[in-house]
Amino acid sequence: MNLPTFILKNALRNRRRALLTVLSVGISCALLVTLLTLQRELTVPPESQAASLRIIARNKVSLAQPLPAKQLRVIERIPGVVAVSPFTYFGGNFRDETLTSFAQFAVDPVRFRGLLVEARVMEGSYEAFEKDRLSCMVGIETVGRYGLRIGDRMKFTGTFYPVDLDLKIAAVFGGTIDDRGVFFHHKLLDELSGDPGTVGTWYIRAASPEVANDVIARLNGAFANTAAEVRAETERAFQLGFVSMLGNVKMLVLLISGAVVFTLSLVTISTMSMAIRERFRELAVLKALGFQRRELFAFILAESFGLAALGALLGVGGAWALWTHLDLQKLTSGFLIYFEVTPRIMAWGAAVAALMGVVAALPPAWQTARMSVTEGLQTLD
Amino acid sequence: MALPLNYNIRNVLVRWRTTLFTVLGIGAVVLVFLGLRALGRGIEATNANTGDSRNLLVVRKGSQAESGSLVSREQFRTLRDLPGIARNAAGEPLVSAELVMIVSAPRRDEVGEANTLIRGVTPRGMELRSQVALVEGRWFRAGQREVVVSSRLARRFAGFEVGGTIKAGPDRLTVVGHFDGRGSAFDSEAWMDADESRALFDREQYSSVLLRPADDSLAAGLIQRIDHDKRLALRAEREVDYYSKQTMTAKPINYLAGILGTAMSVGAVFAAMNTMYASVGARTREIGTLRVLGYSRRSIVLCFLIEGVLLALLGGILGCATAWGLQVELAAFNVSFGTLDFQSFAETVFQFRVTPDLMLLGLGFSVVIGLAGSLLPALRAARLPVIVALKSL
Repeated sequence: MNLPTFILKNALRNRRRALLTVLSVGISCALLVTLLTLQRELTVPPESQAASLRIIARNKVSLAQPLPAKQLRVIERIPGVVAVSPFTYFGGNFRDETLTSFAQFAVDPVRFRGLLVEARVMEGSYEAFEKDRLSCMVGIETVGRYGLRIGDRMKFTGTFYPVDLDLKIAAVFGGTIDDRGVFFHHKLLDELSGDPGTVGTWYIRAASPEVANDVIARLNGAFANTAAEVRAETERAFQLGFVSMLGNVKMLVLLISGAVVFTLSLVTISTMSMAIRERFRELAVLKALGFQRRELFAFILAESFGLAALGALLGVGGAWALWTHLDLQKLTSGFLIYFEVTPRIMAWGAAVAALMGVVAALPPAWQTARMSVTEGLQTLD
Repeated sequence: MALPLNYNIRNVLVRWRTTLFTVLGIGAVVLVFLGLRALGRGIEATNANTGDSRNLLVVRKGSQAESGSLVSREQFRTLRDLPGIARNAAGEPLVSAELVMIVSAPRRDEVGEANTLIRGVTPRGMELRSQVALVEGRWFRAGQREVVVSSRLARRFAGFEVGGTIKAGPDRLTVVGHFDGRGSAFDSEAWMDADESRALFDREQYSSVLLRPADDSLAAGLIQRIDHDKRLALRAEREVDYYSKQTMTAKPINYLAGILGTAMSVGAVFAAMNTMYASVGARTREIGTLRVLGYSRRSIVLCFLIEGVLLALLGGILGCATAWGLQVELAAFNVSFGTLDFQSFAETVFQFRVTPDLMLLGLGFSVVIGLAGSLLPALRAARLPVIVALKSL
């Protein structure tokens, strides 16, 4: 019998306990990975290349305050601006839904073409969307989710706007970071709401990433001290603004992760102590046979670490498999979208479990090191 | 015959080290579950505690919240002239047309901004909301760019202290006082003069109308009349009903509590099982002796189930006590939580609320963990052959 088999036999001699330990470490690990993924989902909006060129300008008062449509003429003339379109969040409810999870935006279709450059038209044609004032362009995810086709009608009840929409699907797009949205003619919204001469936000594309910051500065400067001051920022900064609005939620998720780690450590430590206390006498025999303290410590550590590692493998792997293969967007009706378990998060989960394995080995190892052989041999339990 | 309860209590205590770990583990599970539910409950309680049961709130049909609602001046006049509306001592009808605006403001302790809700309110509107009381400074003056903010909101945003300024684009609002909404949704608001806010934000229309029927028996009729008037396209409802429905934000939190609580308790069941199996293993001879003394298999099963539940209940009590202590501490330091309300699109402020029914739920949770964790070990203990058990060391 060599050393590895000795350790393995020891770890598995109480199979039930080994299994329970591995399972509880596994569940805690899976939870930790899930929470870290949730934290990431809430705080790190997805990044796309095209988005680094795009700028969103909103009213400085807040996103809920509109901007005058006449600002378009000024924005167009700002050097470095390649394309600009009104971009107004409609916030309607689809069919009979009470909270529709995909957004609808009113845009200028001709100008918008130069903005959503990464989008590919999968069905129908962009020209058809451009021509028909009552039509819309829909993301492939939404089309798939509701089983829609070209020519179908989409009805929305306005929650922010006192108007309802009845749109015909003219084109289906894909290939963007979020293929869920619905885009329709701003002209239609203007007509329905009695031409208020306002837009929600401006969607702008800069010529290159280098000039993007200059464009932002010029945009902010152009409307300073006017009745409608503008806050321009990159698309990503704009999305991060929503993270700030979430307030204490971020901190809470981290706190809960802490509680999970705490529970995880309790479980492993208590199991390891139980396992060692059970064979105190054996360890005394080994000591009497001439095994050194550090060898005994290595036995204990290897066992504890091994069980924790197995649990981590199970938990982290399980969480990854679960969240990668489950259609969360459907299950949470659009609340969670990507829920990507990144290698970094998996590494964190595994590292915490491994650390627990080591920490759990310390108290029993210390106990074993301190005991006298005679004392150990006399233990009955 | 059942074993005396004292036997279980002593057993749990004599193995205090393993007991401690299991109890702490179960305690942490109950704490996480309770803590999350307490936040969800905080949001629900805030909304349930808002409004006056005598008042009716009128918003645009189709809008989900005041901030997405529009009421024209014409509609307001129609409403004001409806028969059956209460009047105050001065003979003025208790009707208040208000404007709800959202202003982005910098957070106090961290980077970033969040939306705050500014309500343009009339003297009648203040009369209609007796929950709100001034606690510092003075009320705003009509026609002035002055604002009074909730003291809870003031702790979360920079410049919201008395004498501070709130920037609304190129315009400045001076904070002249703080009010207390007594745990209602008004704790998430800032108030200013209604006409001044319409001028400031350049709005022709109002967001909502709050009114009080002269007599409560007239309320149902007024609601019907407003709802059925096709020209108005407005929706009236009791103010308290409106607010008690604004709890969509609590849903994901309660959902998370359920999922996390379940997943963590499965882990805790495994841990409890481990402890109970160890406990059975260490007491093999004892169990044999008890059987010889005449205790039935059933009483052995019962004995270990009780022990498991006792263990878990200790954890449950610990979790509840910690959650309760947390609530007391948070209240002592006046800490409130805030997040984006999906409906109003502004920051909503709420408290951590551990209620007795939640604590009972937490204790129930721990009992289930105890039962699930001790059932298999208890059955194993009962099945031990007496002779083998007696011979074991």
